[in-house]
Amino acid sequence: MFNEARSKIHGVGLGLKRELIPQIQAAFGDKTIANISFVEIAPENWIEIGGKAAKQLDWFVERYPIVCHGLCLSLGGLAPLDTDFLNQVKKFLQQYQIPLYTEHLSYSTDGYKGKQGYLYDLLPIPFTEEAVHYVAKRIRQTQDTLGQRIAIENASFYVQAPMSTMDELTFIKAVLTEADCLLHLDINNIYVNSVNFGFDAHEFLRGIPGERIVYAHMAGHFQQAPDLLIDTHGTDVIDPVWDLLAEAYQLFGAFPTCLERDNNIPPLPQLMREVNKIADLQHLSNS
Amino acid sequence: MTKNIPSFQQFQLAFTAHIRDPVHQPRPKNVLAERMDVYKEIVFNNLFESVSACFPVAQKVIGKRTWLKLIRGFFREHSSSTPVFRKIPEEFLAYLSNINLLAPKSIPPYLTSLCHYEWIELLVSTMKGEEYQRYIDAKGDLRRNKPAFTSSMQLLDYEYAVQKISPRYKPKEKISTQLLVYRNVEFAVKFIEINAVTYRLIEILKQEEMNCEQTLTLLASELNQELSETFITFGMDILDDLRNQGVIIGVLRS
Repeated sequence: MFNEARSKIHGVGLGLKRELIPQIQAAFGDKTIANISFVEIAPENWIEIGGKAAKQLDWFVERYPIVCHGLCLSLGGLAPLDTDFLNQVKKFLQQYQIPLYTEHLSYSTDGYKGKQGYLYDLLPIPFTEEAVHYVAKRIRQTQDTLGQRIAIENASFYVQAPMSTMDELTFIKAVLTEADCLLHLDINNIYVNSVNFGFDAHEFLRGIPGERIVYAHMAGHFQQAPDLLIDTHGTDVIDPVWDLLAEAYQLFGAFPTCLERDNNIPPLPQLMREVNKIADLQHLSNS
Repeated sequence: MTKNIPSFQQFQLAFTAHIRDPVHQPRPKNVLAERMDVYKEIVFNNLFESVSACFPVAQKVIGKRTWLKLIRGFFREHSSSTPVFRKIPEEFLAYLSNINLLAPKSIPPYLTSLCHYEWIELLVSTMKGEEYQRYIDAKGDLRRNKPAFTSSMQLLDYEYAVQKISPRYKPKEKISTQLLVYRNVEFAVKFIEINAVTYRLIEILKQEEMNCEQTLTLLASELNQELSETFITFGMDILDDLRNQGVIIGVLRS
């Protein structure tokens, strides 16, 4: 399968947080941040924005390839897809020449008291046949509207729906095939879910259809209990997650990889250690 | 509604209902309480932070506990219609206006105005600026033309002195208050206290197809003042001052 989107970005990306913007601008051109090859933004933070933030976005668009990683499209949600929002995303991607839009295999809206509402978080879709068809149809609708393929991310979660009839990997593969979309592989989420639901993360990784991977996420998490990890993106990446990334590169060849840090954000030089570590692993697998 | 949908969606409905209102909506069957608690916490905390960041004064004035209760109510009862994060505070304002009609005792009567005032800063700092420079003469004569205001300008009229409210000043009575908020060219949000006359002057200039002198003439008659050069000068001084501050960015080309 020709994975047309992967060629549009390369190397290591960094999730763009407000705190990091002035630091990246100040260090731009310096070899200490040379390993940042693309930046990732959430459209929900930037669509229709003006003022200082718009100027900052222009600055980045001129200097880095940008990818959009959405949070609120609610591919698994009950209410009809928000087509107004989807059209705004389309316009946004066109305006800033952003080649790639990815979303989560989850939902973020409800139908409480008969009204659809945004809950602004990533909730777990039950793994059933009906859900596969339902989500795949909505991904196709999204791709038709945008006129391009999207990638879906394997989400982290904490509750397994009791009516699920398949495991997560089977569900992801079924959706990818039926929607014919790409995979945004979150390495940390594989690990988080493997602890939360007691499966083997490496076995899971080996089952991933590598040809669909467009890029990956790396992040840290919080251990709340021995069998419960919370996907906070608020700490450093831990060794078992690094091991998974190294194995993924071995299995599928190095692919673009983005570091996400959303909470407890350290200064840029400290984040660069993780960015550089990803770059090292990529070089190692290519050599 | 719930009977005609697949079981996975029935689960989703029960799941989100319990997250919103754990007290009245039962935990979905065969789901661990400990795991459900994670969602109850993270979804609410996430929303709580998104709302609270916009209203630092309001939460101090009504106190932590009342604020928490208020956001709880918002989370439980309000259906937010926007996926855009910076518009979440606007959803809260809509909720607040609705419950304010019911006049609950824990909510002081000035809270809606105060929250609106705090939200204006977010609005003005992030709103899109319209590009219509070619219709504007930056150096044009103000008196004989219609002024061009910066597109970020918000002309505000409150029943309370919202800009003074703090834990030390909780208004007991209404004071009609007019404010002007705008974004300057360096993207800084500026607040100017104005009076009712200036408010009306700007309002007419925005609404009517009149130049400044014609507008001041109308204003004089509205105020039952005799039109004099002194009155015109008084009005033009106000407008020149607004021009110096960057609220008026020129005159519209005729």
